[in-house]
Amino acid sequence: MLEKNKKTVVAAVLAALATSAGAQDGPVKVGFAADLTGACAALSEDGLNGAKIAAEEINAAGGILGRPVELIVRDTQTKPDEGAKVARDLITKDRIDVLTGVCSSAVMLAESAVSAELKVPFYAAIGSTQRANIELYQPYFWQVQASATMEAYAAAEYVAKKPEWKKISALGSDYEWGHTSVAAFTERLKELRPDIAFADPIYAKVGETAMAPYITATLAQQPDAVFAPLFGPSLGATLKQGQGFGFFQKTNLVTLMTVDTLQSQGASMPADNVYGIARAPFFALEQSPEVTAFIETYRAAYGEYPTDWAINAYDGLHFYAAVAEKAGTVEADAIIAALPQVSFDGLREKGLTIRALDGQMNAPVYVGKAAKVEGYDFPILTEVEKFEGAPLMPAEDLILQARGAAR
Amino acid sequence: MVLIQLVNGLMEGMTLFLIASGLTLIFGVTRIINFAHGSFYMLGAFLTYELVPLIAPGTLWGFFVAVAASAAAVSALGVLFETTVLRRIYGKDGILQLIVTVALVLIIRDLVRMTWGANSVSVQMPDALMGALVVGDTYFPLFPIAIFAAGLIVVLAMIWVIYFTRAGILLRAGTDDRGMVALLGVNEKLIFTAVFAAGAFLAGLAGGLSAPYGEVNYLLDTTIIVSAFIVCVIGGLGNLYGALAGALVVGVTKAIGVMYFPRLSMVLIFLIMAAVLIARSMGRQGGPAR
Repeated sequence: MLEKNKKTVVAAVLAALATSAGAQDGPVKVGFAADLTGACAALSEDGLNGAKIAAEEINAAGGILGRPVELIVRDTQTKPDEGAKVARDLITKDRIDVLTGVCSSAVMLAESAVSAELKVPFYAAIGSTQRANIELYQPYFWQVQASATMEAYAAAEYVAKKPEWKKISALGSDYEWGHTSVAAFTERLKELRPDIAFADPIYAKVGETAMAPYITATLAQQPDAVFAPLFGPSLGATLKQGQGFGFFQKTNLVTLMTVDTLQSQGASMPADNVYGIARAPFFALEQSPEVTAFIETYRAAYGEYPTDWAINAYDGLHFYAAVAEKAGTVEADAIIAALPQVSFDGLREKGLTIRALDGQMNAPVYVGKAAKVEGYDFPILTEVEKFEGAPLMPAEDLILQARGAAR
Repeated sequence: MVLIQLVNGLMEGMTLFLIASGLTLIFGVTRIINFAHGSFYMLGAFLTYELVPLIAPGTLWGFFVAVAASAAAVSALGVLFETTVLRRIYGKDGILQLIVTVALVLIIRDLVRMTWGANSVSVQMPDALMGALVVGDTYFPLFPIAIFAAGLIVVLAMIWVIYFTRAGILLRAGTDDRGMVALLGVNEKLIFTAVFAAGAFLAGLAGGLSAPYGEVNYLLDTTIIVSAFIVCVIGGLGNLYGALAGALVVGVTKAIGVMYFPRLSMVLIFLIMAAVLIARSMGRQGGPAR
């Protein structure tokens, strides 16, 4: 009897060993620890939809290194502690090869810390705080879209080309992103246009929808344009409520305007004087066969146009596949070593690469003027100017300096 | 400037009052803190989003009819909830009441997300209210002024019902002494249901009225319920005039605060709330509605 038990145990151990050895030939596991509920839900869902299409395409083409890709999806509830817990679970229990999916900056930093500790690659395709690249950088991290600082720089470049704008106000969300964006925008614009006067920035609490008092206070500064790092509900409320105060007759708004915002505004979008910063507006991308095919596939699958979040998450997973092919393995250190060597042709443009110093991709930023155009039932950006990523990336010595100061 | 900010503050205060008044009415009579009140508000907004294009898009009457119909539908849902669930837990442990109403919050939130998705939707504003009243160089936005007026009408109607009709007498009696009202042969259950219906109607009305002015998404419930609770704490839960005062104080403090202390305007509201709590542990005037 004892003998028989022993045999069972041995058999079980052997079986377990066989499975773990077999993991090398099993699927490449992508842990998608996303903010599927809470404030970031809408963006994360779009990102997941984009990543799903990328995974299907990779699998149809034979997978990564001949192994299929498997997305393992978990919800972080847009909470940093939950994000860290979910990331840890995915790594230790599901044995994922790479972690992604996050949207909120705070959750992103929490997941990045887990990635550093457990040495599993982690990339961001939605959340874009530059703190993950600069002060809190860790070698297993990269991001495939422009950081918040790069977007603010692009906005400054765009505004600098409007000679008639001589006084600028700022109206931002009262948290890290709002503040760093205003600081970066002001810094770059002061260099480009020393003649511009800046009013005191005004900040509204995160998620504020009663924007009328803030709009009134901003207009009282009599600016020629207002730089507004606001998003979601606060931005929508500003666009609607501003119209009652003549905001779009008296001044211009320069703000974050991704495809989801354009869609949700619909007929409420002010007719004039709204300028949008975007990460991957499908209508402004070079309409290559890949881009049109992706738009069609996405529309067929989800019944709507792909948002910036969907496109970047799609690019992000394809980029990871390219890096793994280059490395010849999904082993973490080999992936990180191969990372800066890959030049990737994504939907946004060709020749996307990651800078080794900070894990930042030279991703472009788009700025244009919101307008209604024939053929779409929502406003889109027109006169879009594309800013190449490389010149927007913070200089290497500045990054080292900032890291030194943070220590 | 100060004048416009005062107007801004009064308008926000009026919407807050519509929500808080329902919350406070329900609490005054049933002693239940209805956490799902924000969900009723959100449903009012989403139903208005659905109904506006169906009735007469862009017209003033179409908008108000859509809002009223949405509020009525929300009210019907409230009645269903009251008669099937809440009725069983009156007078029970506070924790049980909390669990039940919070459960409803979660159920409605998930249903709304399944139905309308996670992205914000936009409600069309009636054409007549799109613009602004321009006096010299100053713009007074028409839409919030109209909402303020509509809110004022509701407030006056509410005061009339509560203080000058038989229904109002019964409601006030029910608030003061439920047992006595029942002894006098009044159908106590009916009062509770009616109050809950009225409260849900007010929440749905507030949601529908403010829908075109902000963003409508499935997170609206908790956003609004927090503000409503702040108003109720300042005004005293169960106190209708207190809710009115509290709502206007919150709206105006925020608007004026942004001008003079932009970094402190939110803190100011909480400071007032703390001061009220310290001054009177029961709220501004204390005690149930009278």
